Amino acid sequence: MSEPSGDHAALEVVDLHKSFGDVEVIRGVSMRAHKGDVISILGASGSGKSTFLRCINLLETPTSGDVLVAGEKIRMMTSSRGIYKPEDIHQVERLRARLGMVFQSFNLWSHMTVIENVIEAPVHVLKIPKAEAIEQAEALLQKVGIFERKDYYPAQLSGGQQQRVAIARGLAMNPEVMLFDEPTSALDPELVGEVLKVMRDLADEGRTMLVVTHEMGFARDVSSDVVFLHEGKVEEQGAPQQMFSNPNSDRFRQFLSRTMQ
Amino acid sequence: MDLILEYQGQLLSGTWVTIKLALLSLLIAVLFGLLGAWAKLSKNFVAQKLATAYTAIVRGVPDLVLILLVFYGGQELANSIGTLTGLWDYAEISQFAAGVGTIGVVFGGYMTETFRGAILAIPKGQIEAGVACGMSRTTIFRRVIWPQMVVYALPGFSNNWLVQIKSTALVSVIGLQDVVYNGFVAGRSTRQLFTFMFAVLMIYLVLTAISDSGLRWLDKKYSKGIVRTDDG
Repeated sequence: MSEPSGDHAALEVVDLHKSFGDVEVIRGVSMRAHKGDVISILGASGSGKSTFLRCINLLETPTSGDVLVAGEKIRMMTSSRGIYKPEDIHQVERLRARLGMVFQSFNLWSHMTVIENVIEAPVHVLKIPKAEAIEQAEALLQKVGIFERKDYYPAQLSGGQQQRVAIARGLAMNPEVMLFDEPTSALDPELVGEVLKVMRDLADEGRTMLVVTHEMGFARDVSSDVVFLHEGKVEEQGAPQQMFSNPNSDRFRQFLSRTMQ
Repeated sequence: MDLILEYQGQLLSGTWVTIKLALLSLLIAVLFGLLGAWAKLSKNFVAQKLATAYTAIVRGVPDLVLILLVFYGGQELANSIGTLTGLWDYAEISQFAAGVGTIGVVFGGYMTETFRGAILAIPKGQIEAGVACGMSRTTIFRRVIWPQMVVYALPGFSNNWLVQIKSTALVSVIGLQDVVYNGFVAGRSTRQLFTFMFAVLMIYLVLTAISDSGLRWLDKKYSKGIVRTDDG
């Protein structure tokens, strides 16, 4: 969340609200990610951090607020029945393609091999020639260290391996921003490291990333900014060194003492 | 054996009618099944209720009753509409059309449930992953849902199809000259009912055996990567 250098932010969220029925889960969150920022989003369960991430690419439709991808605003409208929804689904699809997403439960397509998973969206969404997509995918699979398993099916891989494939799948779209929704929460403890290492490498090479996580080490050592959500609002945000050594809010201090033992 | 050879023309033409009837009604059943599954899973309240009523009716009434109703009742209805409006004097519903239509629509009800279950068996996250990549709804259906739905639907589909082939025998009651009708007529006129009905039985077994190997081929083709275990 460094100051803009004249260009548009890679991603900007303005005053986002989201309710499920009568329950307001996100109560006005704004965020700005510039190129190369790695923003860790922390919060207790129920703080709305996953919902916030899912609102960015409209997996959940926000109740109000705006999302801008590289300066382009997702056009929203209010229907005659008072429902806030996207004006043009094609625009949404185009912008979603510029946001890579990695899910807690990997969500690889189980009927496709590793390499097929990675080339699927480049070929069928971006319409890149298949040979070119395969070349790119192989390089990405090398990078996440799973090239040897490129012809395996997801069910034949460990959770850590599946998650690394999912990261490669996201990167294959060459996205503006990568969104990570608790990428290590569903993994056995001994597999967390291999996924975090890949994410560290991405941060080092200047990828813009939004990471919802419970991994305090990652948030402190890798991210450029930390945002702490509490009951759907930003309770505290700032640089990790300062926030972790000298938290301002009591709630974040309590959260830290609970999670950092 | 000589007798059967003598009547092989009738038996073969009857078999051909049975095959056409089964395949055409399968086509209708699959279309109605996909439409029904889509309606049942849609957020549209009216579509949901219509599909629920449809499956409740066609699965709750004997096929034979529906065939007789459509053929005779439909005939009467068509004629009274003609008389009432003065548009036509006399309309005739062909036995073949009545048979194909009724069996197709009835089995569409079973297919609806089979397809609905198959779609629900696909982990929701895989559909979300497609959405997140910017896939359109049709791309998601074509690339993510359909290939997996086929695998999950195959066991139920195979079952429906085998029952459906056998259900085509019911159309002989409205005089359609399928393999049962022709076999029965030949058997009666030669007083060799057992011989002819046995021949008909063998013909059905051949048809179902052929379908079985076809379905197994489909299963092999589509089930790559899909693990059917408890922890899969």
